[in-house]
Amino acid sequence: MFESLGLFGAALVGFLTPATIFNVFWATFLGIVIGALPGLTATMGVALMTTLTIKMDPSQAILVLICIYVGAIYGGSRSAILLNIPGTPASACSTLDGYPLARQGLAGRAMGISTSGSWLGTLFGTLCVATFTPILGEFALKFGSYEFFWIALFGIVIAGTLAGGDPLKGYLSGFLGLFIATIGVEPHYNYPRFAYGSTDVSGGISLLPALVGAFGMAEVLQAMRGPAVQAISNKLDSVIPRIGDVVQHWRTILRSGAIGTFIGILPGLGEDTAAWSSYAAAKRASKEREKYGKGSIEGLMAAETGESACVPGAIIPVLTLAIPGSAPAAALMAAMFIHNVNPGPMLMIEAPHYVYEIVAMLVIADMVKLFFGLTLVRPLLWVLLVPRERLMPIVFVLCVVGSYAIASRVFDIYVMLTFGMIGFVLRELKFPMAPMILGLVLGDLLDKNLLRGLVLSDGEIAPFFTRPQSAVLASLTFLAALWSIPSFSAGLNSIFKRRPR
Amino acid sequence: MINPLDTAASADAERLSPRVDLSVAIAFFLVGAAIVWQALNMPTFRERQGEIFTAPGIVPGFYGVIICFLSTLLAGRAIARARRGLGPTATAAASEGLLGLALVALLCLAFAIGLVTRLPFWLASSIFVSVFILVFEWEKSASRASRARLLAISLAIGLIAGVAISLVFERAFLVRLP
Repeated sequence: MFESLGLFGAALVGFLTPATIFNVFWATFLGIVIGALPGLTATMGVALMTTLTIKMDPSQAILVLICIYVGAIYGGSRSAILLNIPGTPASACSTLDGYPLARQGLAGRAMGISTSGSWLGTLFGTLCVATFTPILGEFALKFGSYEFFWIALFGIVIAGTLAGGDPLKGYLSGFLGLFIATIGVEPHYNYPRFAYGSTDVSGGISLLPALVGAFGMAEVLQAMRGPAVQAISNKLDSVIPRIGDVVQHWRTILRSGAIGTFIGILPGLGEDTAAWSSYAAAKRASKEREKYGKGSIEGLMAAETGESACVPGAIIPVLTLAIPGSAPAAALMAAMFIHNVNPGPMLMIEAPHYVYEIVAMLVIADMVKLFFGLTLVRPLLWVLLVPRERLMPIVFVLCVVGSYAIASRVFDIYVMLTFGMIGFVLRELKFPMAPMILGLVLGDLLDKNLLRGLVLSDGEIAPFFTRPQSAVLASLTFLAALWSIPSFSAGLNSIFKRRPR
Repeated sequence: MINPLDTAASADAERLSPRVDLSVAIAFFLVGAAIVWQALNMPTFRERQGEIFTAPGIVPGFYGVIICFLSTLLAGRAIARARRGLGPTATAAASEGLLGLALVALLCLAFAIGLVTRLPFWLASSIFVSVFILVFEWEKSASRASRARLLAISLAIGLIAGVAISLVFERAFLVRLP
C-alpha cells in the first residue's frame, strides 16, 4: 500500500516539470477539440498523435496520448449537448438528456454536469487502475497458451455481442479482423500468407495505418455524407457544476463509475457501451424514470461518468494482458510497443513503477480536463462552428501523414485508404468496427497461442477445455456467444427474475 | 429449442433491407470460401517434419470456415426476415448523397495516390485542401464576388494548412513526410 503510494508520488513529482505541464495542457486541449468536433474520434486522435510523438521521450509520448484520449472522450459531450450530434460515438448517449437540457436554456448546467461526471468517472476508474492492475497482473502470470487463446477469442465474441448493433455482424467483423491479422509472414515457417509475391504485404498489415483508415478516413467520408451542422445558440448559463447536483447523485456516480470501469476492462467494448450501460442501469434504479430522455440530470451524469470511467478501465487489460479494452486503447497499446514499453503480464515484474506512472498521467490529464471544462467554453463553441468542408480535407491530410510517418512506407498510405473504404462500407452496412480492430490486434496473440498450445499438447485439443482457467474462460466465451441469441438470454433472465415460493 | 437464425436482429439491423443483408452474406461467404481454398493450397511443410497443426493454412482456414458459417446464418436470417415481410424493402435512403460521397472519395484518392510523393508535401496538401473547399462550397456562392472571395479563402486555407502541417511535423516533431 505505502510502496504503491510512494511509486505514485514519485511518478507525479517526476511529471511536474514545465515541459511536461506544457505538453499536458496542449494535448488535453487538443483532445477536447478533437472530441468536440463531429467526425473526429478519440481513436483517430490517439492514432494520429502516435505519429506526432514518435520522436518524443517514451513517457512524454504516452502522457500526451493519454491526455488526448481523456480529453477526446470528454470533449464529445460538448457537441452532444449543444448540437445534438455526438462528437464521438461515446457521447451519443449524452444527447438523450444533454440536448433537451440545452433546449430548456440549461446548456451551461448540462456542461457543468458533464464536466463533473466525467471528472469523477475518470478519477474512479484511475483508482481502479491503481488497485486492480497489480492484482490482475499477478493473476495473468498463471496464464499459458491455452488461456491466452481463450482470452483472445473471448475478446472477439464479447466485442461482437455487446459492441452495439447486430451481434452476428459483430462476429463477422471480428473474424474478418482476425483473418486480416494473418496476412504476412507466419511465425512457424516464415511462409508469407496471402502476400502474392508482394514484399510490402509480406510484412503484414500494421495496426496504426489500419486504425487511421477505419476511424479517420471513414469518418471523413461519413461526415461529408451526413447533414451539415446547424448553427447553435450562443446563450449560455453558468457552466460551474452545482455541488448539489454531485451530492444528490452520488449513488449514480459510484454505480456508473463501477459499470464504466468494468466495461472498460472487457476487451474491445469501449466508452459507448459503457455510457449506454451506465445510463440503462441508472434509469432502472431511478425514481424519476419519466424524466429520462427529456433532460434528466441523473441520466446525463450517469452517461458521462460511465464513459469517462471506461477510459482508465480500458487501460487495465492493456497493462495486464496486452489486450485493449477499447479502440483508442488499442492505438495507445500500439504506441506503447513503438516506444519499447512492453505491456502484458510481465510488466508488473519488469517495471511495476510503470503502472503508477500511468495512474499519475491519468490523474494529471483528468485535472487539466476539469480546468478546461470550466474555463474554455466560448472558444470551444467557435471550434464547433468550423464548417466540415474546411475541416475534413485537413483531417484527411493528417490521416495521410499519420499513416506514412511511423515506418516511412508509402504502402501504409494504401493500407489506410483500403481500411478507410472498408470501414466506411461496413459501417453503412451496420457492421460495428470495434470487433474488426480488436481482431486485428488479437490476431497475432490468438494465432501464436493456438499453435503453441497444439504443439505443447501434441495436437490434443483437450487441454484447451480441461485446465481450470481454460475451462472458465471457454465457458465464458460460449456463454457470451449464447447471450446474443435472444431466446437464450430471455430464458436466462427469466431464471434470475423468478422468485422463490 | 434455440433457433440460431433468431440471432439478435437489432434495431440497426432492422433498418437494412433483407435483400441488402443477403447480398452482404453472400459476399462474406465468398470471402470465407476463398480464404478456405487459399488456406488448403498453402504448403504443409511435411518435408521439414512439420506437424499438420503447425501448417500455415490452419489458422486462416479456421477463420474462413467460421466466416462461411456466420455468413450462412446471416443469409438464413435475411431470408427468414424477407419471408416474414420485416425490414424496409426500398433502399432510397442509401443512395442519398452518393454523388458527393464519390467526389470526396475521388479527391482523397487523387491526393493520396496521385499527388503525394510526386509533389512536395506542402504543395500537394495545399492543392488538395484548396480544391476540396472550392468543390464543396462552390454551390453556396451564387454571385461572382462571393465566388472570388471563396477562391481567395480556399487558397489561403490550403496554403496555410499545407505549410503549417509540413512545418509542425518536420520541424517541431522531427517526423518524415511522404
